[in-house]
Amino acid sequence: MWSKFDRNGGLFIAAALGFFFIGGLITTVEPPLLDKSWATPLAGLKDYATLAKSGDTGAQQIMQGRSIYVREGCWYCHTQQTRTIEADTIRSGWRDVRSPVSTPDEFVYDKPHMFGTRRVGPDLSRVGGKYDRQWHVTHFRDPRSLVPGSVMPPFPWIVNDPQELDALIAYVQSLGRAKEWRPAHDYEQ
Amino acid sequence: MSEAVMSTSGPPAAAEHEDRSSFAFIAIGALFFVVSGLVALIIAGKLQFPTLMGSVSWLTYGRMRPVHVNGMLFGWLLAADMGLCFYLVPRLCGVKLWSEKLGMATMWLWVVIVLGAVVTLLGGMNQGLEYAELPFVLDVLVTIAWVAFGLNIFMTVFTRKYQQMYVSVWYIMGAILWTAFVYITGNFAVMGTAGTSQANLNWFYVHNAVGLIFTPLGLGIAYYYIPKAAETPLYSHRLSMIGFWSLAFVYVWTGAHHMLHGPISQWLQTVAILFSVMLMIPVWTLVWNFLATMKGQWHQLRDNVPIKFMMAGTVFYLLTCFQGPMHSLRTVNAIVSKTDWIVGHAHMAVLGAFSFFAVGGAYYSIPRMLKTKLHSEKLANASFWLWLIGGLSFFVSLWIGGFLQGLQWNDPTIPFIDTVKFIQPYWAVRLIGGTLMFVGILFFAWNMLATYVNRSHAAAE
Repeated sequence: MWSKFDRNGGLFIAAALGFFFIGGLITTVEPPLLDKSWATPLAGLKDYATLAKSGDTGAQQIMQGRSIYVREGCWYCHTQQTRTIEADTIRSGWRDVRSPVSTPDEFVYDKPHMFGTRRVGPDLSRVGGKYDRQWHVTHFRDPRSLVPGSVMPPFPWIVNDPQELDALIAYVQSLGRAKEWRPAHDYEQ
Repeated sequence: MSEAVMSTSGPPAAAEHEDRSSFAFIAIGALFFVVSGLVALIIAGKLQFPTLMGSVSWLTYGRMRPVHVNGMLFGWLLAADMGLCFYLVPRLCGVKLWSEKLGMATMWLWVVIVLGAVVTLLGGMNQGLEYAELPFVLDVLVTIAWVAFGLNIFMTVFTRKYQQMYVSVWYIMGAILWTAFVYITGNFAVMGTAGTSQANLNWFYVHNAVGLIFTPLGLGIAYYYIPKAAETPLYSHRLSMIGFWSLAFVYVWTGAHHMLHGPISQWLQTVAILFSVMLMIPVWTLVWNFLATMKGQWHQLRDNVPIKFMMAGTVFYLLTCFQGPMHSLRTVNAIVSKTDWIVGHAHMAVLGAFSFFAVGGAYYSIPRMLKTKLHSEKLANASFWLWLIGGLSFFVSLWIGGFLQGLQWNDPTIPFIDTVKFIQPYWAVRLIGGTLMFVGILFFAWNMLATYVNRSHAAAE
């Protein structure tokens, strides 16, 4: 019966697209309809894009920092997801407190998403507040002065531009802070 | 079951193939292969010497990496694949390519797209989505180019002299149809979403860019050149049908396996795992078919260069497609995900399997379309061994290094930076392997160029 498909072009096209659309629709269109949690923001999650449009300067700075993070391809080497793997929750944790795993409701406003695929450097999903401003300034100027053995490039054109530097640091400090989980006194701003 | 001999064995009634656009596409592919290979060496070097060319924004790792990835995928491999399709589809249909003019126009549009991509990516115009970095304007141009390519192929198929469509033609038609939807989803629809929904569409696209663009094009090419170059009939038409239709059904479900353990629904992860394992059906039937076609012909591996490439590509394909289902399993994924194991896997698919098929096809076709002989069989053979040895040291070093680094990540008492220092020697081996492959690329490009330049001289002999 299959031999029909290699003689009749129209039948072939219909079958090839039919097979494709079964899986295609079930795995792309249907999941967000079925799983409302993908689009339901966590209580208190800030929509920085909307806030920035309404004139919030802090949000504008974070959005600018985010665009720098996208522009420089930081996301090729840093993931932003604490996976459902025990070691991830410890590595993303703070001192002796384990980090909660990343859930879709924390990323509802992330556009483009920055989950990433490769960890040349460490995951950044909970990095916000772990290091102070001066640490980040030094680190962006010369990563190896703080982390010997690091392979991160220096970013002099950002460090030498005060506006970009402040924006990028503001963005990094905002990461992973929607969930309240760190001990009250162990938190650097 | 060797009933299906390729229909080209009959005399093609009136078809005198021009092959202009076929040649031009392979030529620009070879050129971008050299350029993307050079960028690859630079970014691999940056992992050894992080300050290498590091004070200039547009030469930094994060800007050059997408140039390398997009350059290899779209500049080299897709261009070469399109060129080979323009060669083999008319021959399988017994007619000329529908429009050489349209083919040449598509090729020039492709050059514009690739140059535009280099400028925008180095300039930091990055949309932030893997494989979909290019700005909207270039996405539109890619879509136009793809429609032009598809129109040319489909019109050639619709005007064919031979009623039965050989399996290569199915794979190529399938690739054109699926790619249209995969590309639109991954570059246009994806921009209207955010967060996990966007990641899901992004991974649907990334996975199917390999699975439903490069896989069917590469396999269609291999299905043509293996029997052609070995001058032997395909083992089984029925197996090729099982392979094709199971691929058409199974591949598209698996995108979410890139997000295992991540912030995405568990049930979708499980669906992706199930279908990833099922991928072994199309892969193993195809590999069985290729290997059985070579039965009694294995002596040709000694000095038939295109066959060497095709068979090494087949083995790489089997390996990479065995890895895929294996690291979709949750326990394995917990170790290898986000490590260089995956990078080794991805390079074996694109640079191992599919580039080997494309290069083998080019070595076979270029002399025939120019009605001459290859400039140097020796140089071609040398490029094969450089790629095989360089590729294996590249892939294997990343697997070992990546797997061990993944084990170290799962022991949180080991500081992250120690795992970076640990893997650096493996990166050095990768750089050496990559350098060997780059020399192979230079040999390949030089051989193609010399064949072209000497064509009239050699034909006169």
